[in-house]
Amino acid sequence: MLVIENCRLTWPDFAADYSMTVQKGALCAIVGPSGGGKTTLLHMIAGFETPESGKLAFDGVDLVPLEPAKRPVAIVFQDHNLFPHLTAGQNVALGIRPSLRISEGERRRIDEMLEAVGLMGFGTRNPGEMSGGQRQRVALARALVSGRPMILLDEPFSSLDPGLRRDMVRLVGELRRQRPVTILMTIHTPEDVADLADQMVFVADGKVLASDTPSAILGGSLAPRIAAATSNT
Amino acid sequence: MLRKPPHPGTLVAFAILALVAGGFIALAAVGGERPTLFAIGPYLWRVLAFSIVQAALSTLLSLVLGAALALALARRRFPGRGMVLALLGTTMVIPTIVVVFAVFAVYGRSGWATGVLSLLGWRDGFSIFGYPGILIAHVFLNGPFVARILLDSLSLVPAEHWRLASAFGFSPAHVFRHLDGPVLRAEMPGLAGLVFLLCFKSFAIVLALGGGPSRSTLEVAIYEALKIDLDFGRAAWLSLIQLVICLTLTGVLHWAFTRPPTAPTIRGLIQRPDARNRNLKLLDAIVLVAAALFIAPLALSLLSGLNNILDVIDTDLLRAFVTSMTIAVIAATIACLLALALASAARRQRVALRSPRAAAFYDFLPNTLLAVPPFALTAGLYLIVRSFVDPSSAGFILLPLINGLAAVPFAYRSLAPRLLTAEERYGRVAAALGITGVNKLTIMDWPLLKRPFGAAFALAMALSFGDFGIIALFGGQELVTLPYLLFERLGSYRLDEASAIGLFIVLVAFLLAHVSGRLSHAGD
Repeated sequence: MLVIENCRLTWPDFAADYSMTVQKGALCAIVGPSGGGKTTLLHMIAGFETPESGKLAFDGVDLVPLEPAKRPVAIVFQDHNLFPHLTAGQNVALGIRPSLRISEGERRRIDEMLEAVGLMGFGTRNPGEMSGGQRQRVALARALVSGRPMILLDEPFSSLDPGLRRDMVRLVGELRRQRPVTILMTIHTPEDVADLADQMVFVADGKVLASDTPSAILGGSLAPRIAAATSNT
Repeated sequence: MLRKPPHPGTLVAFAILALVAGGFIALAAVGGERPTLFAIGPYLWRVLAFSIVQAALSTLLSLVLGAALALALARRRFPGRGMVLALLGTTMVIPTIVVVFAVFAVYGRSGWATGVLSLLGWRDGFSIFGYPGILIAHVFLNGPFVARILLDSLSLVPAEHWRLASAFGFSPAHVFRHLDGPVLRAEMPGLAGLVFLLCFKSFAIVLALGGGPSRSTLEVAIYEALKIDLDFGRAAWLSLIQLVICLTLTGVLHWAFTRPPTAPTIRGLIQRPDARNRNLKLLDAIVLVAAALFIAPLALSLLSGLNNILDVIDTDLLRAFVTSMTIAVIAATIACLLALALASAARRQRVALRSPRAAAFYDFLPNTLLAVPPFALTAGLYLIVRSFVDPSSAGFILLPLINGLAAVPFAYRSLAPRLLTAEERYGRVAAALGITGVNKLTIMDWPLLKRPFGAAFALAMALSFGDFGIIALFGGQELVTLPYLLFERLGSYRLDEASAIGLFIVLVAFLLAHVSGRLSHAGD
């Protein structure tokens, strides 16, 4: 279980104070207005931001003192996930070992993972030759191949068109059925994940204002605010 | 039916080509007994070898210093870092003749460094003439410039990549391999070519610090052929070789390494995972201290002129200042008008006539002016105009003209993109309303163009004001610019006066460059 209790972060122009829990193996969708602190929440879990106080633990292990590389977390950004001078396969291999020295067994695992995200035979392609959706699939494959129990997706499909976006969400659902991972994803279009997510949280002004099932959140009193937050962008 | 008169840009392009061709033909035709290439062969090889070797060494050292400094500055945050970055960008604006003074002041017979060395017991000293002085001056000019460009490129690495590096636990070696390395690999060839070209063409530094006829660049050799030996034939051969080499280099640089300009991004502090590595901390400390020990004395030596500035203000200095300013204004006017005409011709080809090849010709023409040896052009034009004007006043005509031509590429780079922007925004409206010609320029283009025009004008003035090039041919009783005055004082080892004049030149050049920078970075 992921436990976040009163994790405070302050900047001259912004302050955040997060409290929430996510069950192990759940898919948690994070919605809310841009600038409200969704990305900061993920960055804090991944270790790019350090809370000044509060508790941040996964499976009973305190994450705060751990460096990003030591945390049980893999992350996919909205953009710039792949290094342009490496092939798709090498980019996935970074998830196993930064030196790129991988065994034959690991090589097979990388190929399997590329196949799982629908990119069979793309291992030798350069990111520059791939579409935006394909690049995001590579990043997803890398997050999965790392074997980390928690995956953070920061607006992973926002730059894709609606049809492709729904395909990708479906892909995440399928992959989740095959292996037990906890997934937190920020998303601009809550309706895309309403059927898939186990939990939905609404983040605004640096706080988790609500946490419930997607249907409860989308049908509840926050619905107008969520609609406002997702329509004006 | 009346044929439409040609576009002013077409006329300008032909005028420039005619000027260059005319100059060369005049030079080659006057040669008298006209030496064959074979006759000057051994001399030519020596000059060519020295030009190439010193340029290659200067380039290598500048790139090593620049890359090490850029990486150290990218990894470290310290008080005053912002000021260091600002200073790095300014060494390129220091006129070469002032750099010569700085090298004398620090490493010369009575220089600071020499004094420190003799205190340490090393009394033999070393001569700055030849490779040491030339390399010091070139690396001082270009190393910080390379560092600045590389640092800007390194900062364009997306923040996500740095977060991934942290998330994957990259070691410093991995960071270099996947983040810094690819950036350096992409930038280095173009920078190397540019620095090599600048050092290969170097004149003032090699003339003052070469210390002997065997240590000349082609540019200095052309000057000596003209000024000392009056050997126009040899000058023509040397110029032709210089032109071919520089044109080839310019062409390669233009086609291979011109990338779309990327807007500088302002980023918050990025946590570099390699910043905590102890070996790198030590390395960066060494690099930063070594770079400071190399750059700071040379830069600070310019300030020593403060003590003497009141002593040198006399009628000579004021006359030289007025002369330099007048030449700078005329040169800037020429540069901006020619660049504007060429840029508008390029735009017409690209947008109205849909002929990107013709447009590319106009884009490339200003760069070729960088490759033309100014002395050869000057000498050729002098041979042409001497039958019309008094030879002693030829300098007053040729100096602004040559300085103006030399500044065209810089003015073009500033004006051409803005003209295209204006066309993209308002071109259809203007076409619909039938606004063309001069009206189009004043109504549609000028509002967008006036700031870059001002920026180009100030930059062209700064370049001309500090230039010590063909003034070496014409300088004397009649015509004295400030850089020439500095050269005279250096020649007679009056370093106190030289320091004040150098400071004065640098201040004016910096001021103009600053104005230029402000204008070009301001919004519409």
